[in-house]
Amino acid sequence: MKLPLTIVCAGGGGVGKTTTSAAIGLALARQGKKTLVVTVDPARRLAQAMGVEVDEDVHPAHVEPAVEGKLFVLMPEPRRSTPTFAKILFEGRPADLERLMKNPVYTTMADAAASMHEIVSLILVAKAIEDGGWDALVIDTAPSRNALDFVTYPGRLAVLFEGRAVGWLGSLSQRVNAGEKLEGGGLFAGAEKRIEALFARILSARFLRDLTQLFADLALVKDRFARFARLAESLMLGSSTNYVLVSAPSGSAQADVVYLHRRLGRLEQTPTALLLNRADDAPPPWLETVKKAADGWPALKGAVTQVEVELATRKRAGDRLAAALAKDVRGVRQWRLPTIEASDPAVIVRDLATRLGPEVGRIAPR
Amino acid sequence: MSGPATSARLPPLGPVVLVTGKGGVGKTAIAAGLAEAAARRDGAAMLIEFGDGESGRRALRRGTRVVHRVVDPKDAMVDALSHLLGSQLLAKLFLNNFAVRPMLRAAPAMRELAMLECVRRYSEELPGKRVVVDMPATGHGLTWLRLPVQMRDMFASGAIHDLAARLVDRLVSPERASVVVVTLPERLVLGETIELCRALEHEVKLKVARVVVNRFPAELPAEAFEQARALLARGGPEGEAAGELLRVIEARRAVRKDALDVIANAPGGALTARPLVLAERLEDPSAEDVATFLEEQEAA
Repeated sequence: MKLPLTIVCAGGGGVGKTTTSAAIGLALARQGKKTLVVTVDPARRLAQAMGVEVDEDVHPAHVEPAVEGKLFVLMPEPRRSTPTFAKILFEGRPADLERLMKNPVYTTMADAAASMHEIVSLILVAKAIEDGGWDALVIDTAPSRNALDFVTYPGRLAVLFEGRAVGWLGSLSQRVNAGEKLEGGGLFAGAEKRIEALFARILSARFLRDLTQLFADLALVKDRFARFARLAESLMLGSSTNYVLVSAPSGSAQADVVYLHRRLGRLEQTPTALLLNRADDAPPPWLETVKKAADGWPALKGAVTQVEVELATRKRAGDRLAAALAKDVRGVRQWRLPTIEASDPAVIVRDLATRLGPEVGRIAPR
Repeated sequence: MSGPATSARLPPLGPVVLVTGKGGVGKTAIAAGLAEAAARRDGAAMLIEFGDGESGRRALRRGTRVVHRVVDPKDAMVDALSHLLGSQLLAKLFLNNFAVRPMLRAAPAMRELAMLECVRRYSEELPGKRVVVDMPATGHGLTWLRLPVQMRDMFASGAIHDLAARLVDRLVSPERASVVVVTLPERLVLGETIELCRALEHEVKLKVARVVVNRFPAELPAEAFEQARALLARGGPEGEAAGELLRVIEARRAVRKDALDVIANAPGGALTARPLVLAERLEDPSAEDVATFLEEQEAA
């Protein structure tokens, strides 16, 4: 299967990553590429502005008439990850699905698992890509420096489904639930016996029984899971994946991309671009025009001065950020983007897409 | 930096203050500010942070009287279990077991529970002083706070059940803990915040004592709006430029109005606390700036 042009956007929270991802997607769609934008952390305001639903389906985005039928969005709902995960893996096995959804260990652990939603999102992407027909894919990762941890997560899960641990837990659970006393066995007992006693002390009989059942159920679908996991991994870690780091002038946003750059290095990936949002450079030309025309209008002049002061502060912060990241994220080309003020997020997406359009080939060269 | 209806009294904060909100909303600055204000008043306070401790260190000034504690996710499991079993050796034996290790790596909930247990132990180190917890940004704030109740019920008995039950009694109990939610002036983000407040009250029985709306955009003078309109009416390049300025003024107005509308119309008393509106800073605010703001608002 031919994989689409893939761009993964990563960065800390609040840097405008989702808006940037949507803008890159729009820029690609304007070039005629059938593009899918996936956001792991749903931006409901943006979803509403683009006319898409927050659910498990791929929706056409309505951002501008020229890209109708070219731009699509998938924004999975985090609060439904646990049932969605089960539904996809247990498709065609209604009885097994029902048992799984009744297992308290599954519902509690899956709900509380921070990476669950990311895995579900990736599985949904893999499913969409398997259906084919996509020229480009933009993945907006979760707004966290740990956003890339889940890339290796499916592999960790696969280990669990293998026989040894499951068999051992199963027999332990049987004995605990049959009321067998698992004493430490005194000084000369084997390490195995001591561990069993420790298990019984830390965990409860009911938990062991539910856990064993959960493993047995998940083992039923391990092949399907492995297939999605492999596809998701090749999308995220393939040699043609373009990683775009997104930052903004704040201490935490700066530290987050430095961390993510190192993390990518450990995954043998180098980012292709570093986008700096709200890192205003020169003030927009219209500001000077209004200033000149504002003689005799003190309130207007006051507003222009206020905006000028803000922009100067933003430029200083942007300069500092650019200089610091030139040192800490060495060799990655930077793009500085201005603050875009508009109450409609779709306006911001269109404006950003216009700025990024001519640069997309350089931002995502792979 | 004044908000609407500043006269309304805010409910008192408990000994433990849990600061929650999604990533990038400025949660750490608010948490550090709350700790700083408490330290000014009581002579000492504690700020507990998850991860590597870097963002708390950035917000607190040198020589602060805030004690900074960091819960490292990597060590939390060994740490919590060693206390539970009274032996680090046994804890490591259990955690390195061939069946347990992959299970724990796949199920972060156990590590998260261990992290909360570390928070509980730290929070009891300075009796009588305020403890502020900068909650992790991952997941919904609710996932973390309802974890103790869920785990207590999932393990009907045993050591983990007891640990979770203790967390329910001594950390996430309404007598001990108050919740502060940090949010942004965006209609749907605020909508989610209101939903979170209701869910916390219903599912965890915790009332939200403070809602901080961060990054509230600065208003541009109303007269400037009229004058820009007059300039726009003249047409030409000057009119066009004035149109751009009008767009900025209107965008800020819309954000401000929208946010206040959503808050005012929160259904069923979901927002019992008067919202604290913190004006947008163009640069990172320090813990001291935030502490001063909170004192002015009688919210510290």
